[in-house]
Amino acid sequence: MKNKILFISSLVLIFVINIFTNSLDPYFYTILIYIGINIILASSLNLINGYTGQFSLGHAGFMAIGGYLSIAVTTYFAPFFINTFGTGVFGESVSFVIVLLLGGIAAAIAGIIVGVPSLRLKGDYLAITTLGFAEIIRVIIQSLEVIGASQGFRGAYIFENGVKAAQIPADLSNVPFIFYSVPKYTNFFWTFTFVAVIIYFISNLMSSTYGRGFLAVKDDEVAAESMGVNTTKFKVIAFVSGAFFAGIAGALYGHFNLYLNPEDFNFLKSVEIVVMVILGGMGSMIGVIIAAILLTILPEFLRGVSEYRMIIYALLLIIMMLLRPQGLFGIKLKPRKQT
Amino acid sequence: MNLLEIKDCTMRFGGLTCVDKLNAFVGENELVGMIGPNGAGKTTVFNIITGVYNPTEGDVSFIGTSVIPFKPYQVAALGISRTFQNIRLFSGMSVRDNIRVSFVKNLRTGYFKSILQFNSYISEEKEIDKRTDELLEIFGLLDAGEEFARSLPYGEQRKVEIVRALATSPKLLLLDEPAAGMNPTEKVELMNLIKMVKDKFNISILLIEHDMKVVMGVCERILVLDYGKKIAEGKPEEIKNDPKVIEAYLGETH
Repeated sequence: MKNKILFISSLVLIFVINIFTNSLDPYFYTILIYIGINIILASSLNLINGYTGQFSLGHAGFMAIGGYLSIAVTTYFAPFFINTFGTGVFGESVSFVIVLLLGGIAAAIAGIIVGVPSLRLKGDYLAITTLGFAEIIRVIIQSLEVIGASQGFRGAYIFENGVKAAQIPADLSNVPFIFYSVPKYTNFFWTFTFVAVIIYFISNLMSSTYGRGFLAVKDDEVAAESMGVNTTKFKVIAFVSGAFFAGIAGALYGHFNLYLNPEDFNFLKSVEIVVMVILGGMGSMIGVIIAAILLTILPEFLRGVSEYRMIIYALLLIIMMLLRPQGLFGIKLKPRKQT
Repeated sequence: MNLLEIKDCTMRFGGLTCVDKLNAFVGENELVGMIGPNGAGKTTVFNIITGVYNPTEGDVSFIGTSVIPFKPYQVAALGISRTFQNIRLFSGMSVRDNIRVSFVKNLRTGYFKSILQFNSYISEEKEIDKRTDELLEIFGLLDAGEEFARSLPYGEQRKVEIVRALATSPKLLLLDEPAAGMNPTEKVELMNLIKMVKDKFNISILLIEHDMKVVMGVCERILVLDYGKKIAEGKPEEIKNDPKVIEAYLGETH
């Protein structure tokens, strides 16, 4: 009930703030959107790494799948969307929500494919498998001509003879075409509405029997199994939910940047998200949200000392881990009382 | 028909035979003790019953169904629940949540209904809360409900583990050394608790214990294991005077 009130009031707040964001400086606006996207990424990874205790290092892979699939659908099927839903605000919103969900679903399907075999592994092995998966995704994207391969994807050329491509093929250089670039659908309203919805869903999930199952799996798999928790199933559920939300984050990112490059989703992106989760405190929703905000803003503050930026960033992380190893808002268990 | 039937069960790990052609049973509403020196294979028997290990040979059946093909969570769903030798509570969760985990077995509401908080989800949560409260009250743990399981005193943690096992509404409860690490007063409390659990919940209990006072005090029948073999079985008084049992525990020339 408390969640529901918080959720509805935050939606109202987002709607109100949205009116003022048009006058915002584009630089701050961009940072604001990235904060939203990073909150979604961090809290969805928190579901896997923090609550369920499965160390995944492949979140950028799911983000890439969601991002690429959604902008590919928006551009390649642009005539379809325009004909069906029109170009008004309403039509664009409907098209956008559809491609966002498609991005999420594609990432979730990838989550099932990766999760079902690899979640039988534990600890380091799972981390390596998921890391390998994310790299495979990146390499596949790099070699897929239809989404721009290593040059990145900006939009689709639809030729009059029906051919569709991401670049102009040499033999069609004389055929007329229409270029559909990625439309800038992502704005403050949509980003933060999805942030609110996703956080609401995750907190509902965590207060349900599923959430307690996740926590039980993290604390003691053997005991959880003996109490009737199908640990593999629960791990897959957490993993696929996390992948779904990451896919949506990727789709939001794609429709904001209007250009995706496979290098956006390299190993460092995955690590960045893991750092947010660890810094915020594994399994603490508020901590992870605050860490996502801080780690998005911090590099911007350090722009003034550009050449030392990454050194200071790294140092801050090290100091943080030394002083608060449990993360900003992580719970430190009380030591056992002596009897 | 017996509730639990173990037939010619053998468990080998490489060259080591941990359980050797064991035959045993637990009847309806019966309290059976399993004793034996260290390394006799008692916990291995528990692990076979609960599906952690698949026996090399033989069969274990529970109310007529073989448990061998089942995984531990499926065995739990059949109605066998257990506690552990070293306490295995979910240390990051409150006592109440530890117990609420056990209701997953009867979970009716699906994933999407839980996320969207349908009415069926809310009513199911209420029911789980109510049953958790009932269990906590029976065991006098109502005040400790919101505390971290790990912050409770040792004896209480043992109790929480038993409550958590009972929350899966089992027909057979396996207790692995419930008195380990307890002081004499706590042991007496535990004995009363075990008897109460058996009568109140009308279940069977199979109990591993080293403390003879506890075993002799509560068990109706005792199995004695040594090197994986059953060397004796009978009422507590019979076991106490069995020369084989005395030999297994104290050696030949005592």
